[in-house]
Order: sequence, then C-alpha cells, then structure tokens
Amino acid sequence: MAQRRNHYFVLTAVFLLGWPWLTDEKFLHYVGVLICITAIAAASLHLIIRTGHVSLGHAAFMAAGAYVSVLTVMQLGLPWPVGLIAGTAAAALLAAIVGPIVLRLTGKYFVLVTFLFGEMVRMALVVTPALTGGANGIFDVPPPWPFLLSNRAYYYFALVFAVFGVGLCARLLTCEYGRAIDAIRERERLAECSGVPVIRVKVTVFVIACALAGMAGSLQAHFIRYVGPESFSIVQSLNLVVMNVIGGMTSLVGALIGTVFMVTLPELLRGYVNLQQILFGFILFATMAFLPGGIIELGRRLRGFLRARWAGAA
Amino acid sequence: MTRLGPAESTVLNVTILGQVVVNGIGLAAIYILVALGFTLLFGIMRVVNFAHGEFAMLGAFALYHLMKDVDWPWLVALPVGVIGVAAASMVLEWLVFRWFYQRMFESMIGLLGLNMMLMFGAVLIWDVYERNIPAAFTDVLILGDIILPVDRLVVVFIALAALAGFYLFIRHTRAGLAMRATAADVEIAESQGVDTRRTYKIAFFVAILLAALAGALWGQIYAVSPFLGERPLMMAFIVVILGGMGSIPGAALGGVILGFTESFVGTFYGAAASAFLSFAVVILLLIVRPWGILGTPET
Amino acid sequence: MQPRWWTGVFAAALLIGATGAHGQETLKIGGIGPLSGGGTAWGLAAQRGMELAIEDLNAKGGVKAGGKIYKLELVMYDDQYTGQGGKAAAERLVNQDNVKFIIGPVGSPPALGVISVTNPAKVLALTDGYAPQILKNDTPDPYNFRIYNTNIEFGPPLIKWLKENIPQIKKVAMLAPNDAVGQSVAPALAADYKKQGYETELDLFERGTKEFTPLILRMMAQKVDAFEFDGNSPGDAGLMLKQIRQAGFRGHVMQIGGPAIDEIMEIAGPAAEGFLSYDIFDWDTPAGQRLRAAYEKKYGKGIINAFMPAFYHAVLLLTESIRRADSLDTAKVRAALETTDGYDAGVYGPIKWTGKESYGVNRQMMIPYYWSEVKSGKIVKRAKFNP
Repeated sequence: MAQRRNHYFVLTAVFLLGWPWLTDEKFLHYVGVLICITAIAAASLHLIIRTGHVSLGHAAFMAAGAYVSVLTVMQLGLPWPVGLIAGTAAAALLAAIVGPIVLRLTGKYFVLVTFLFGEMVRMALVVTPALTGGANGIFDVPPPWPFLLSNRAYYYFALVFAVFGVGLCARLLTCEYGRAIDAIRERERLAECSGVPVIRVKVTVFVIACALAGMAGSLQAHFIRYVGPESFSIVQSLNLVVMNVIGGMTSLVGALIGTVFMVTLPELLRGYVNLQQILFGFILFATMAFLPGGIIELGRRLRGFLRARWAGAA
Repeated sequence: MTRLGPAESTVLNVTILGQVVVNGIGLAAIYILVALGFTLLFGIMRVVNFAHGEFAMLGAFALYHLMKDVDWPWLVALPVGVIGVAAASMVLEWLVFRWFYQRMFESMIGLLGLNMMLMFGAVLIWDVYERNIPAAFTDVLILGDIILPVDRLVVVFIALAALAGFYLFIRHTRAGLAMRATAADVEIAESQGVDTRRTYKIAFFVAILLAALAGALWGQIYAVSPFLGERPLMMAFIVVILGGMGSIPGAALGGVILGFTESFVGTFYGAAASAFLSFAVVILLLIVRPWGILGTPET
Repeated sequence: MQPRWWTGVFAAALLIGATGAHGQETLKIGGIGPLSGGGTAWGLAAQRGMELAIEDLNAKGGVKAGGKIYKLELVMYDDQYTGQGGKAAAERLVNQDNVKFIIGPVGSPPALGVISVTNPAKVLALTDGYAPQILKNDTPDPYNFRIYNTNIEFGPPLIKWLKENIPQIKKVAMLAPNDAVGQSVAPALAADYKKQGYETELDLFERGTKEFTPLILRMMAQKVDAFEFDGNSPGDAGLMLKQIRQAGFRGHVMQIGGPAIDEIMEIAGPAAEGFLSYDIFDWDTPAGQRLRAAYEKKYGKGIINAFMPAFYHAVLLLTESIRRADSLDTAKVRAALETTDGYDAGVYGPIKWTGKESYGVNRQMMIPYYWSEVKSGKIVKRAKFNP
C-alpha cells in the first residue's frame, strides 16, 4: 500500500514540476499559477469546514492579505517578503478579532454572518479611495521580483507556497489536532465534555486558515498586479465554498479537485458565459441533490462499482 | 463628497417627515411580500430558497407579457400571471426542490445553482435590457403637501390583503393546520397522519405565489429584467433575519423595520449611511440574537 | 470500388479547403466587454456592434492587407466589468489566441487591466473607459486609443450651453452608484459644473438599489433645480427619472453621460417628457436606419444600447487603418490610425483625434455630439457640438 502511495506521490511531483516545460503557452502557465494560489485558499477553507463551519467570507481575508501586502510594498516601499508577512499577519489578526465572536454561531447563522462580513469588507474598501484606490482599485502592483514577470517562473514560485500551504493543512488534519477538529464537527457537546477546548480549537483553526488565505491573497495581488474590491468579493468566497462542495467536503483532496475544476472551467468557457453559468448552476444543484459527497464520493462509488464488476466477471 | 450627516436644509419639518413615513410604508409593503414566501419555505420545509428572487422575476415577466402582448388589463393580468407562474413552478418543485426538504445546508447551495440556471436561462430567453410594464396607475394623491403615488398605495393594500389572507389560511383551514404542525415538528406531524408531501406542495405553491406577486408588483414599480430577482432576494434575507426565519409576524415586523430605516436614514443621512446601518444592525442581531426578533431559538 | 474514388475526391476537396487555395485567411479581432453581471447591456451591445460590422465587411470581401485578403472573426471574452476580468481576458486574447487587435472594454477598471497587458505586448487596443490615466500615463510606447467621447471632452461645452440656454438652473443634484463611476466620473463632472458657477450635491448609493425615493426627497429638500444622471446605467437612470417625477419634482432632469435615451424613455414612459441628454447617434439618418434594420434582423426587436454603433464604428475604423497601413504590423497600423482625422465611416460623420492638452497624446477620438430632448415621445436634437 505504502509502495503504491509513494508511486502516486512521485508521479504527481514529476507532473507538477515538469508540465510547464512541455508547453510554451503563457496562458496555460497563467492558469497553473491560479490553480496553485486558489488551492491554498480552498484548502484553508477546508480546514474551517472541517470544524463544522462554512464560511462565505473567506475571500475577505484574502483581500486583507492582498491589500496590506500591496500597500506595504507600494506605499511603504518595503520589499515583497515584508509585504507577504504583513499581509498574512493582517489576515490572521482580523480572524483573531472576528473569530471568537462569530464562531459561537451555528450552521446557517455562521454562513450569513460571514457573508455579511465579506460584504462589509468590500464596502469598506470601496468607501476609502484615498487609501485603497476605492472602486477603481490599485494598478501596476509590482511583482515580488522582476524575474517573476514570467508566468512560468511565477508558477514554480506559487507551487512552493501551495505545497507549503496545503501541506500545512494536511498535517494539521492528520495529527492529534485533526482528531479534535473532527470530534468538534461531529459531536460538539460530547467533545466539550470530553475535555476538548472547543472554542479555542475553532478559533485557532480559523486564524491559521485565514492567515493562509491572506498569504494566497498577497500572492495573487502581486501576480495579477492589480487589486480591487471586486477581486475578493462574495463571488470568490462562493467559488471557494463550491470548490470544497463539488470536490467533496470530507477530505482535503476534495478541495484540491474542486479547485482544478473551478479554475479551469471558466477559462475554458470564457466565450460562452451564459451557458457556463447555466451549466455551473446545474452542477451545483445536481451535486447537492444527489451527490453531496462531491467528486470524491463519485470516485469512491465508481471504484466500488468497478471493483464489483471485476469481482463478478472473475 | 458624500456627507454622512443631515444636510443643512433637510429640516425636520412635518411635510418631509410625513413623506418619509409614507415612503417607508411603501417600501415596507414590498419587502414584506417578498419575505413572506421566503420565510414560509424555511419554516415548513427548512429550505433556504436562494432562488426566491427568480420566481419574483418570472412573476414580473408574466405580468409584462400579459399586459403588453396579450393586452389584458392589470386587474386580470396580475392574478392570472401570478397564479400561472406558481402553477408552472410546481414542475420545479418536483424536479428540484423536493430533494432538499429538511436539508438546510444542501438546499442553500443547491438552490443557488437553481438561481443561476433560472437567471441565465432568462437572459437567453429575454435578453438583458430592462422593460417597463405599462403603468396601471399613474395617478398621484396629494395629501396636504405629501405625495402618495397610487401604485405604491396599491402595493400596501395588496400586502395587507396578503397578510390577512395568509393569516386566515393558516389559522382556519385544515391545510393551514397541517402546515403549522409540520413546521413545529415534522416527525410528530407525520406520525399523526399529516400528509407531509401534500403539505409541502401546498406550501410551495403559496410561497411561489407570493414571490411571483411581489415580483410582479416590483416590476411594475421599478422595471423588469432577468436580473430583477437579485435585490428582492437580498431584501427577503435581511427582513427574515431581522424578524426571525420561519416567523410570519417576524416577516411583517422585519419588513417594517427595513422599510422605515431605509426611508429615514436614506433621506436624512444619504445612501451610504443607510446601507451601512442596515448591515450593521443585521450583523449585530445575528451575533446577539440570531433567531431574530420574533423567531424561536432552535435547540 | 465506388467508395474509393469518392474518398479521393473528398480528400482532394479537404486538401484544397485546408490549404486555402481560395486565399482567405482569418484575421481575429479580440473583443472584451461585460457579458455577465451588471454591465451586461453594454457588453452585449459592444459584441453585437462588432459582429454586425464584421458581417458587413466579410460580405464585402473582407479586409485587404499586405497583398492578402482576410476574413474577419470576432473572439469576444467577458471581463465581468472588473479590473481583474479585463486583465484575464486580455491575457487570454494576447497569449492564447494570438490576437493583435483588441476592441473594448467598456469600463475604466477593465480598460486599465487590458492596457497593462496589451501595451507591453504591442497589441493595438481601442478602448472605452472614462479614467484619464487610460491615455495619460507613463507607458513609454503606448498602443491604446480611446474610441468613445468622455465627459472631459463633452462636459464643459454641454454645461456652457445649459448656462446660456437654461439659466434658471443654479443647484444641481447628482446621484451615482458607489463604484468606479461614482468615484471618478461623477466627481469630475461635479467639478466641471462647479467651475462654471453651479452648486452641486452628490450622493453615492449602493449598486443594485432600485428605490431612489429617499435620496430624491433628500435632494429636493435641499432645493435643487435640476437632477443630473452623469454616468449612471440606463436602467438606473430610467428608474430615477420615473421616481423623480413621481415625487413631484418639476425642475429639469438631464444626463451628461450615457447616452441611454431609448432605454430611459422605455422605462420612464411619460415621465421622460422634457428629459435632456447628451446624444451621439442619429437613428433617423439613412445610416442609422440601415444599422437598426441589420440589428433587428439578427437580434430581434428591442432597445438598442448606444454602445452598439460605437463598437460597430470601431471595427470600421480599425479595418480602415489596416487598409491604409497595408499591413498587419501593429506599429504600422497604429501610425495609420493616427492619420484618420476626418475619416467618415458612415456612422458618425468625420472623426477627429484630440486630447493632447488633457492627456499628452492625441489618442482620444471625438465625434459630433448633441443635446437632445424628449418632446412628446420623440427625441429632438436641440444643439449640435462639433469636435
């Protein structure tokens, strides 16, 4: 088993490192970068979902990271690593302030509050043009380093952070802490009685997840080289939730599958916006109605089905 | 520069105040109509209908075509169009909604998908530009110095009629009793012999009827386009959060609060303040009393 | 036996078709505009204008350059009316579709996003977007032009006419959405008004608002003489007008922006009487009627947004420049574009390139414009302004 796992691992690594050299299409590299950055955000949201809370405001923390990073670099003239740290810290701080308040809410109320929070952040960005460029946003954001102006180079750059971010999430979920997280999601009262410091765990996970989102935000801002209130609005938050839902909310891999799916689909269908939205809407409905476990569940069922057929044929 | 305070000459005189009250009532009426169906779906089926605005949009288009293309008078076109939309939507009940009853989280995302399908399907059918429903009431009553557009008065009247009719239905019919029982506890209701499937269908029909009605009136006052549904949905949400999800009197109260807030704050302090305040109040309420003013906390 | 010679003929036909023995290559023209979300009316108008122009040109044989004849093809992408979307669409067009000529987008944030991609790549871009920095910036060798009048050009003359012809207006109310329009365009217009001695009151509302009555009441309480719609969307402007008249306001209502007179008339109905608006196209001319007929044949009857002729015209302007340059090299086409002063594509009349004073480059296209008024359900031109 471990042998097979290692094989998969090596294959994936080779693929991830090698594919940019198989093509010179700058656009494909561009999509690759977006997948890496979005994967960080989706995986970190997955952490929050594992504690039993679905946040519809995750993009707001990306915005915090993005704007603070951009302003640190452009207004204070500091080098990008400082901007990255500042952005990540800002997102973490915001989460530390907001988390203890909103994480006490359950289910639908948490969703609504995070949604409203995201909207407030967007509104705040819009009404402060002197600081944030307001509705127009900030253009000509510099890349972290000049050599990163190439999409292919940025891909490897983002890949490093993606591996770090997703790896951190995976580690968190598989260690002792992860068990506490699952316990909280499944039976919160019972976990509390068993001595799990519920609210502390939730807040810690929330802060880590939002910090990662801030990091992703900074990476995105310096790649797209533009930030605006619409860059991190409810649409992006919703997309992140959908990535988790479609991929499968039960496992981190689901978030990654969902990311690849959701990032590439609009790019492929960019010329057919109406149809894309209708198709997308249908996928959402069908997934939630019939396959709530997402693509992962689909995969599991398929594997079970195939195994049964082979067993029957044998 | 946007001023975030009362402007110099927005003096607190009786006329302006009176007008603000009148405007507030008009706004509240529309919001209540939109929120009623939404809260009904939640109360009975535990479904968060993210596609509620789209049924409003369909109601508006129905009224538009019946008045413009078929040339019926408003008094006929409105009920026919609205009932027609509700009846046609039963197909969606069977295809889409019934998979989500009593599954709140799945309903949120799944119905969001329906929302997108309906909205962009509507764009394919009707194109994006906004249309005007031929005005049924162009008169304006003037009381002293206060302006009362007749079309807004009609909406207030209809909203009151809808509330009254709904109250009678819920309290004095068997179907209404079944709905109340189902809302209180599904399992017990079923074990007592309530046909929940039929109850759900009736509730769905009523809810969509109200949505289409709200949409038709909305389209009449404002304009009709495939994107009509977005704002009513948002308003329904806020009203229902304020008043309590699943509570009818809550919807009425929430509508009144939202309508008056918008009117007062908007007139005296400008649009930005109004939006900000609405949001702040809702967030505060969600944190402190998430089940709304008249709702019941879920155990 | 039989299938064999059939397949031979078939293969030969395919081969001939593939090698293009008829000599028609395809020239892709990139289009960018909002095809979803709030700006969809503008984006679709842009797309349709371009499609109609391309159909017309292809029917006449295509575009000739460098000894070859090209069939035109539109590749249009959605920018969702955001800076990010504009940038992504431009990246796709430039890097994947290898497009050298782009028309669009419509708004300022997407336009700034687009030119950040097209200028370094030496791709010619004919954009809209009101922000001055689209033309006035530090780019060393810009390849972008603006193909739509902006209120920097038409604002002051229109206001001057108001001052001379409707002197009773002293205080102007402006309502604008809380986005790029409200934050750049409306204040700029307010400044123009102030420069000519008017008092202004500006209030910004949340996008998506349909109920303007509280704001209108607020403005009326401040005793304004007129409402100005500046860069509001057609739907919002129509609703505002309807509600303004419902509120009993008897003063003037005008729009230095848009134009969207047809849409506003459709939504406001009889309340549109007396509405004054900036106007740029005459649908009653033979050219206008031909364009309307072509549009209705392809897209059905309905209100036509003012951006449609503008983008139709942009395609003609671009292909004329390609013809003059007799090449697809963007530097040469750019140079040719700069010579098109006075060119009449049969849509707007002769155009003029201006802007040196405001932006440092003459890359702002100007066409004649008007003050139009709605009188008894018809649009009547009250004054003409030449560039």
